[in-house]
Amino acid sequence: MILKYENASGAVGTAPEHWISGTQIALDRDRDTLIMFAHPKCPCTRASLEELNRLLAHGNGRIAAYVLFFRPRGYPDSWTRTDLWRSAAAIPGVKVEADVDDALSRRFGAETSGYVLLYDPQGQLLFRGGITGSRGHAGDNVGESAVISQATGQKTSVTQTPVYGCPLMNQCQQGASR
Amino acid sequence: MNPSQSKSASDPVAISVRVAELFNEQQQNIIRHTDWLMSWLMIFQWFFAVGLAFWLSPKTWAGINSQIHPHIWAAVILGGIITSLPVYMARAHPGETLTRQTVAVGQMLMSALLIHLSGGRIETHFHIFGSLAILAFYRDWRVLITASIVVYTDHLIRGYYWPQSVYGVLNASIWRSFEHAGWVLFEVTFLIIAIRKSSSEMLLVAERQANLESLKEGIEQTVTERTAELAKTNSALLTENVQRKKAEQKLSIEYSVSRILAESPSWKEAQPQILKGIGDILNWDVGVIWMADHRDAILRFAEIWSQLEVPVESFKEKNKEMTFARGIGLPGKVWASGEPAWIADVTEDVGFTRATLAKKAGLHGGIAFPILVGNGVGGVIEFFSREVRPPEEDFLRTLSNIGGQMGQFFERKFVEEHLFQSQKMETVGKLAGGIAHEFNSIMTAIIGQSELILGDLPSGNPLAENATEIHKAAERAATLTRQLLAYGRKQMLRLEILDLNTVLTGMETMLHHLIGRNIDLRMITSAGFANVKADAGQIEQVIINIVMNAVDAMPNGGKLTLEIVNATLDSAYASRFPELKAGEYIMLAITDTGAGMNEEVRARLFEPFFTTKGVGKGTGLGLATCHGIVKQSGGQIAAYSEPGRGTTFKIYLPQVQQPKKTLPPRINAPELPRGVETILLVEDDPSLREMAGSMLKRLGYSVLSAANGVEALTLAHQQSTGHIDLLFTDVVMPHMSGKELSDRVHSLFPQTKILYTSAYTENAIVHQGALNHDVEFLRKPFTPSALAQKVREILNAKKTN
Repeated sequence: MILKYENASGAVGTAPEHWISGTQIALDRDRDTLIMFAHPKCPCTRASLEELNRLLAHGNGRIAAYVLFFRPRGYPDSWTRTDLWRSAAAIPGVKVEADVDDALSRRFGAETSGYVLLYDPQGQLLFRGGITGSRGHAGDNVGESAVISQATGQKTSVTQTPVYGCPLMNQCQQGASR
Repeated sequence: MNPSQSKSASDPVAISVRVAELFNEQQQNIIRHTDWLMSWLMIFQWFFAVGLAFWLSPKTWAGINSQIHPHIWAAVILGGIITSLPVYMARAHPGETLTRQTVAVGQMLMSALLIHLSGGRIETHFHIFGSLAILAFYRDWRVLITASIVVYTDHLIRGYYWPQSVYGVLNASIWRSFEHAGWVLFEVTFLIIAIRKSSSEMLLVAERQANLESLKEGIEQTVTERTAELAKTNSALLTENVQRKKAEQKLSIEYSVSRILAESPSWKEAQPQILKGIGDILNWDVGVIWMADHRDAILRFAEIWSQLEVPVESFKEKNKEMTFARGIGLPGKVWASGEPAWIADVTEDVGFTRATLAKKAGLHGGIAFPILVGNGVGGVIEFFSREVRPPEEDFLRTLSNIGGQMGQFFERKFVEEHLFQSQKMETVGKLAGGIAHEFNSIMTAIIGQSELILGDLPSGNPLAENATEIHKAAERAATLTRQLLAYGRKQMLRLEILDLNTVLTGMETMLHHLIGRNIDLRMITSAGFANVKADAGQIEQVIINIVMNAVDAMPNGGKLTLEIVNATLDSAYASRFPELKAGEYIMLAITDTGAGMNEEVRARLFEPFFTTKGVGKGTGLGLATCHGIVKQSGGQIAAYSEPGRGTTFKIYLPQVQQPKKTLPPRINAPELPRGVETILLVEDDPSLREMAGSMLKRLGYSVLSAANGVEALTLAHQQSTGHIDLLFTDVVMPHMSGKELSDRVHSLFPQTKILYTSAYTENAIVHQGALNHDVEFLRKPFTPSALAQKVREILNAKKTN
């Protein structure tokens, strides 16, 4: 049961191939821009943040990163500002924002916490998916390696990986969004 | 001590076995301790895992909805499953191989769980290496192999089925599992090396301990042997010391008793000192002496002594009133057996008749030993102590020897005292006898001459009255003289076989007349044979004398008992009297209930002229006469008296087995018989010779008088008639005895009859005091009528023959 749980990837929506402008986050024109969608209370996301930290470290400043924490409408900031928020904020070069009521998540097609999108400075989508090998499990994984390769200009055939994490929205919310 | 330790300390095999035991014991201790440690560690890890799950991933979320995270269940259930079996095995079966293998598997699974729960943090992977290190505590390399296999299998399986969960890639090479396992193997290799090194050190420690134990055992064995030798030596020294102490005590007692006996003038004075001497040396608290009264066959109290601090007055007073029959009580038993006896606790002994008294006095231990006199027991000495004292054979033997020593002293002193008394009596008797002999001859002359004067004086002559007074006085003097002779045992006894019962019965009427009506006379004769060899008249005289003394002792009346019993005097008793022999006796006891007498009077009772009666009331010769008669009859007389309670005289006469002879009745001729025969009269006493010659001539006889044997033989040779019918001669004369003379006369005149006369007869003593039946004898002093009767009787017998 545990293995099934941990190895069951989350849902992935349709990510836009080009950066969507007019949002609260801006595309970095000098380097790749990484967006991670996260549920502020998902324990699995801790592993994703750890991998993000390692990834950014490996990227050596070539990646501008955003971590957007889901905040339901009508919920206070404190609901979002969990230790995960603080962990994300503590990673150098990472901007943390609240995604109120999944506004951005819906536009970028993110449905699972830990979902990562990587855009080049031109706004072209380079990678989408998770950067952990399983749910809540840190360690070397394909997604992390693919992002680092994209950012460092290395060739990689991997542009998409499964995402392991808690759903950002429940079924009702997802249904409503569709 | 371990079984193997009991083997020889220098046995290498035993040491090897002991090394293995110690090593296994130490290893087992370590394993059991590690089992205990691992059980707690696993429990802790389980709780930690649950806590970690609650902390890191309490819930899983879907938007705003949440539910319990599967990690919670995993921590609780999986953690419980992983933990429970090893913990159970560690608690239920500590030390077993399966237990530590289970623990190893569980611990490694717990590592996997924790890594999982921590989100695969690389830091958590150190739990594996830490666990291996902890498992190395078992110092069993097989445990590490099992743990390694679990780790490697985990990687192998997950690497094959879910490589991304292990290696982060979807298609990892199988060799990566070897890489991971290699690190584990790296650590395990060194841990195994460490284990082997540790085991070697343990083995070394075990060897050292075994050698140490072996050495210690050797030392202990040596110490034990030396201790045993010391104990043996000590025991021997103690035994020697005890024996020396006993020997010293024995010597001390013997010396003390010997000194006391040597310094004591009499047995009576020696008694308290002996009790104190022995009691002090042997630490006895109370001592009692009982002396045997063989006549009454009882032990009488003689002396008692106690340590000053011992309050036994009641015990002492009661003992003074006691007597013991042979075989009764402790003294009686010792008397009967002649052997010493030792009772550890007299208050618990059923045969000890004074148990209650002893208990009150707080006395427990008791011994008794006989005073051995000759072949019998003269008395018994007892000692008592306040503590229970188990018997000691050595002391019993010592005391028995001392009893013999005391018996000899007692016997010697008694004999000395008795001999002294006898010699005194003998001396006085000889003196009295010598005087009496001379007086007897004088009295015979006075009586004879007074009778002649009376015979010659015509009737109515006033001188007849004077002559009569002279005759009476002379008779009284002759009576006294006879008593003195009797006391001096120098009177002639007419010994015959008498039935003492008959003698006593024949005297009954006379005794009733003697004692008066206020005295109750009781006579008891013996049921058995009561024959003795004695002079009946003298025995009657003895009885009368004692009865008269009894009457005087009972002026206000009382009871007088005369009893004849058969008695056996044993050698122990008889040996105390030089003249007395052991054997069967007839005892005549004369008991009164009169005033009695004290010891001083009793001691001098038989001395001549000793009297307690007033002047003129007694001569002091009565009991002295009795003493002489009984002694001369081969018997023994003694008196027992207590002032105010009466006196008992006991006369012992040797019993004879021959039947008594019936003597012919004496014929008293109414007139003096006369004759014409020739009589040769030989008497060294001129007055007596004159009296006898005159008397015989008056009776018609032809009398040839001679003063001695030589003269007599001269006259015999000159005898014109050619014959002599009767030789009447004194027995004891100077130059020639009556017997020698009679023999010579017989050679000249074979038909001549012989009549001897004497106040006492020393020749009769030569003949053991018996009167030969072939010899005729007339005792001095004799009366003319007695002489006439005797002479005629002999001459008539001649004619008849």
